[in-house]
Amino acid sequence: MTLSSRKSLQSWLGLAIIMLLAIISSPQTPNGRIFLQMGNLTDILRQVSETGVMAAGMTLVILMGGIDLSVGSTLALATCMAGLCLTTWAPPIGEHWKIPFAVACALAASAAVGGVNGVVIATTRIQPFIVTLASMIGIRGLARRLTNNTNIDMGFGSDAPSVFARTGSQKPVVVGTFVIVFAVFAIILSRTVFGRRARAIGDNEIAARYAGLPIRRTKIFVYTCCGLLSGFAGVMHAAQNHQGNPNAGMSYELEAIAAVVIGGTNLMGGQGSMGGTLVGTLIMGILTNMLRLNNVDSNTEMMLKAVIIIAAVAIQQFEFAHPARKRKA
Amino acid sequence: MTRRDALLGSLGASLGAVTACSKAGPGSRSRSYSVAFSQCNNAEPYRAAQNELLTRICSQQGDINLTITDAQQDNSKQIAQIETLILEKPDLLMVAPNERTPLTAVMGKAMETGIPTICLERDIAQPNYTVYVACDNHSIGRMAGQFIVEKLKTKYGEPKGNIVEIRGLLGVEAEMNRYGGAHEVFDQYPGVKVVHEAVADWLQAKGRERMLEILRAQPVIDAVYAHNDPMAIGAYLAASDLGREKSMFFVGVDGLGGPAGGIKKVMDGVLAATFYYPLAVDKAMEVGVRMLRDPNFKPEKKYTLTSELITSENASEMYRRLTF
Repeated sequence: MTLSSRKSLQSWLGLAIIMLLAIISSPQTPNGRIFLQMGNLTDILRQVSETGVMAAGMTLVILMGGIDLSVGSTLALATCMAGLCLTTWAPPIGEHWKIPFAVACALAASAAVGGVNGVVIATTRIQPFIVTLASMIGIRGLARRLTNNTNIDMGFGSDAPSVFARTGSQKPVVVGTFVIVFAVFAIILSRTVFGRRARAIGDNEIAARYAGLPIRRTKIFVYTCCGLLSGFAGVMHAAQNHQGNPNAGMSYELEAIAAVVIGGTNLMGGQGSMGGTLVGTLIMGILTNMLRLNNVDSNTEMMLKAVIIIAAVAIQQFEFAHPARKRKA
Repeated sequence: MTRRDALLGSLGASLGAVTACSKAGPGSRSRSYSVAFSQCNNAEPYRAAQNELLTRICSQQGDINLTITDAQQDNSKQIAQIETLILEKPDLLMVAPNERTPLTAVMGKAMETGIPTICLERDIAQPNYTVYVACDNHSIGRMAGQFIVEKLKTKYGEPKGNIVEIRGLLGVEAEMNRYGGAHEVFDQYPGVKVVHEAVADWLQAKGRERMLEILRAQPVIDAVYAHNDPMAIGAYLAASDLGREKSMFFVGVDGLGGPAGGIKKVMDGVLAATFYYPLAVDKAMEVGVRMLRDPNFKPEKKYTLTSELITSENASEMYRRLTF
């Protein structure tokens, strides 16, 4: 059995264990266990959609040996752009074009944030952690400034903002976006030259440079993708919450990084997969759902989550170390 | 004429009187006043509304230079900012403390330097202020509890029903008292049960997320009591996703004006009620301006502001009053 297939098996095993725990501990109703009801299972998918979409972008970045701390702030910026374009800034275009315009603006702004991150990281010697930490702070400030610290409400009427919120918060739309984004990026990562290049840079940047790979271009493109995906998550967030909120997405970057790491992607880059990230995202989602269905105290929930994250990563550490020892021997 | 209109009117009148006086005397010299406001966190919509109202009041005064600092929900930052403000010696210092104990000493320092200091809505550990403008969260909790029990009585003919409570950030004064006040009422009726409590940290997105799970776990819910409006709206969104929003009613607290505020949501039929949590800066400035202009004025140590119930009956009127 190869290393990657063993690793992927272990991730899926982790997911299965959490599923089993959730089933056993689920409260019962006359219709069976709540956890297993189709509505609840799709709720979980819907709830992990935003983090999941961000984690897909984060996987690319981390695989390349980088990190992006600005995704939460970028999400907030996207919700604000969508909200502002639909309400305050509404341009004099037909009602039909308002929603596509708002979505396009939100995505463009987010991709631009990612692009700027990428350009700075690729052209200077400043570490990605510092660059994206700075943009995490700066973009949050921008979002708050644009909205003057207030939430941009989309209302419950029948105008464009309300239609956007109503349509965009439908479960099939949210889950569908999540699934499509994941599928597309899984293909990009495993089946395209770009995906291979990103992985190669993460594995050994110097070797990749000597091999003549376009390092700068790839880096800029990876961070742009990550920004764009945060924008997708932001549009989903805005629709689901009926508002543009400059304070949305606080600490989402950590949730996205956690999902990637639990899914077995090495923080040093080079190793990992979209499938792993999907598993990581689902583990976090199911764990949260399980604890909340049982009305577990929120402080205890945080403590238990901490234990699970460490346990999940510890299992993979063991897995990484094992073949390495063999190679040395 | 509403309370705020009356206030602004009286402020305008006093401003007129002051400028008239200063223009009348050929030798008199007009002076301007500096007011510093140490805000604990600009990022909350309630606080943004406070800042906006305060800026408006000060600009209407004409001779008041306002400085607002933002502590971004950080005690140390707020202490440092107040220390800087003390050096600048404003004519009036207003503080919305982030937390009680940590801000007590630095406000004492301001008092020692002789700066008149107004403490807004959160009490500090020692009375290191000239004036304290208080908002009573406990009574808001009680009013919310009574409103919910009355609605349940109308529904069932007796006080009974299942309540879901969505709580704010744990350990914060507003959360503790909005919780405590409501439970004081609920506890009197054995038929009224709080079947599920969830913590959503004041956030709409978290309110929605938590409510989704609660809806799965609780087949019968009659009322949702959230400690602020955004969480109540979040809970409503979750219930409407599952088509259950008609079988329960939603009650929030804050009652901010504007399209994103809770009053609009009462008008839209999303919330059954919200409770106006006073912005407090208007009262603070009413007292503060008198302190600045009239050396003989002796303010009271504490002014307690009352909340108001906002339902569909008075929502439009309150919306006009509180939107600016």
